[in-house]
Amino acid sequence: MSTSFPFPRRGPVRLSFTVGLLTLTVFGLVPAVAVLVVSFTNLRGLPYLPVNWVGIQNYLTFFSPAKWADSANAVGNTLVFAVASTVMQIVLALGTAILLNRPLRGRNFVRAVVFMPTVLGVTVTGLIWSLMFNVSGGPAASVLGWFGGESAFFGDPHLALALVIVVQIWMVVGISVIIFLSGLQAIPTELYEAASIDGAGGWKAFRFVTVPMLAPSITANVLLGIVNALQSYQLIYVLTGPSNKATQVLSLLVYVQGFGGQSGTTLSQSQGYAAAVSMVQFALVAVISLLSLWFLRRREAKL
Amino acid sequence: MAQTQRRPFRLTRALTAVAAVTAAAISLAGCSGSSSGDTDASGDPSGDLQILVSSASASDAAFTAISDAFQKKYPDVKVTLSTVSNDNYPATKSSRLTAGNVDIIVVKNFVEVPDFASDSTSDDVLLAKSGGLVDLTDEPFMKNYTPSVLDTQAIGGKQYAVPTGLSYSTGVYYNKAIFEKYGLEVPTTWSELQKVMSTLKDKGVSPFGIGGKDSWPAGLAMLGAVGSTYPTADDKNALVEGLWKNTVSLTDDKPLSILQKTETIFQNAQPNFAGTGYDDIPAGFAKGDYAMTIDGTWNEPTIESAVNGAFDFGYFPLPVSDDAADNAMLNGKIELQLAVSSGAKNKTAAIAWLDFFSDPANYKTFLEKSGFSSAQPDIAATPFLESIAKYTSTFQPAWDTLWIANNKAGQDAVFPFNYPALAPLGADDASQAAAAAQKAWSAAF
Repeated sequence: MSTSFPFPRRGPVRLSFTVGLLTLTVFGLVPAVAVLVVSFTNLRGLPYLPVNWVGIQNYLTFFSPAKWADSANAVGNTLVFAVASTVMQIVLALGTAILLNRPLRGRNFVRAVVFMPTVLGVTVTGLIWSLMFNVSGGPAASVLGWFGGESAFFGDPHLALALVIVVQIWMVVGISVIIFLSGLQAIPTELYEAASIDGAGGWKAFRFVTVPMLAPSITANVLLGIVNALQSYQLIYVLTGPSNKATQVLSLLVYVQGFGGQSGTTLSQSQGYAAAVSMVQFALVAVISLLSLWFLRRREAKL
Repeated sequence: MAQTQRRPFRLTRALTAVAAVTAAAISLAGCSGSSSGDTDASGDPSGDLQILVSSASASDAAFTAISDAFQKKYPDVKVTLSTVSNDNYPATKSSRLTAGNVDIIVVKNFVEVPDFASDSTSDDVLLAKSGGLVDLTDEPFMKNYTPSVLDTQAIGGKQYAVPTGLSYSTGVYYNKAIFEKYGLEVPTTWSELQKVMSTLKDKGVSPFGIGGKDSWPAGLAMLGAVGSTYPTADDKNALVEGLWKNTVSLTDDKPLSILQKTETIFQNAQPNFAGTGYDDIPAGFAKGDYAMTIDGTWNEPTIESAVNGAFDFGYFPLPVSDDAADNAMLNGKIELQLAVSSGAKNKTAAIAWLDFFSDPANYKTFLEKSGFSSAQPDIAATPFLESIAKYTSTFQPAWDTLWIANNKAGQDAVFPFNYPALAPLGADDASQAAAAAQKAWSAAF
């Protein structure tokens, strides 16, 4: 038992492990710590300009009365975006996966179609949906027009966030479907047979066999979904621009502050402030993911 | 359980491999530095010249034409022109300046700020003051430019940038055929404009086309409103000072009137303009979907080619005051200002390029392609710019070139006239938007 090391030599394993660890340290850990350090400075990202320690000034600014309305708006939008898109993504993906797990003509083709949006990437997705929701003569405007309705779609402050969430779900649902499908295929058919002998039909079989057996997949999907949605800003940027209050999320705030995305204003970019906002975001992501992990693990154990 | 027994660690082998990986990484990193000469045997500039500009299709074409002509004259120089969209420009600029692989850059917000707002000095002014830009004051080619234009961009009395041109942002393109059809005259006062708007609406034509999805095109209405409510640069500067010293409130009648009139213009824009992009406007204007659009002179080449001779169009200053004299002048800005980085690898070629650019013959080519107004005296304008010469006889800087935003204030006070909050872009009416802006502004002090 003690000599069951599966590889002929330890050298290559150690070497590849070291290289991996070094890569992670250099490209992951060091930048992460650097962001923390930068958040205590007034770094502007231009050479020749002095960089000064400002202590917790950037954090105070984020929570200051002048900025708080914007900060709270961004935090609120981030939470709505993350929760709504994750929940709907899970429900939709589970339903789709169950459908696709049945014997179905052209099943592989349908699976490919469901997964396709994931492959397209943010810019292409943004372009497709900008065209789809084009206010003058776009397909959505035409359909709405048949019923005498009209809308500014992404330009409507009451509608923009909801539409972006829909597009986000469309884009990422494929991954969840794949994870659920693999989970479904791992459920032994004997369990369903046993359940049907005990008199459990459609809903009961789903509730007492499928869901418990899928618990690990659900955990993985919820975590991936929440973490991804809490950090995502690319789609929002492409669809509604960098400084639209209706869709402003924390990571977009970081982008605008750190990379001067708010052109046409005299505001300067401030990477120190951006770093502070991203630390706040990090704390938010960490707390929410740990909480959901704790909750889901507990449920998994119960089931 | 797998794996407990230790095997001798092959230190030498591991170290060799790590060293090899490190060496590879270092040699890769070394590739980014390129050697570039300064002058060849005949004293002409040579080597690589890197130019970075923020992108617009007309000016991109104009810069390309100048660079091609430059390379014909100095075949030993290889010019690389990078054009980056406005939104991505600041990030690209800072990373390339840090890497030291750019010679000529575009500087933005390049104007000195008064003492009361010194915390809001722009990055590029700080860059100039801390020695990051080459002092061009004594370069002979700077004498080609109009002195009053140079004065507005002087930093500490020195010149750091070549002003490539001027453009005006507070005017209205109008469809002469539609105006003629309904017997409309070019409005010179707010009440005349209101009459034009109501006539057009009655006839079922949208008065204004606005690309509200990109937000800033809707802001041009606000800029025009400030332009005639505070007609001179002195008026505008007094407003800046009053706001910074908190002796003027954004909810006072006069500042509030700017948002009210902007709101009126929004109410007279095409349906669902909040969802229309800036790039869709020239096509809609050409189709006659709307009779007018507020846009800068920089977009004239694009509008011209969209209309393509289908009808005549003209350009007048947005009349927001009821005194026609306040509406007489277009407000403008200095276009892309080119500066040389102190860290430039090829300063000789950079200076030679700017010298070549500033030569009146070449500069004329640039203006024709870019659509900019001349920043040099005595250069014949295009017919379009000739037609608006009466509105540009004295250069009136636009509000966005004089306003100094406060980094500590909230987003509602950025402009600080809070047009993004106005319905249908936002959800507010003029007084709510002004109150939100004032709240975000005063909380910063």
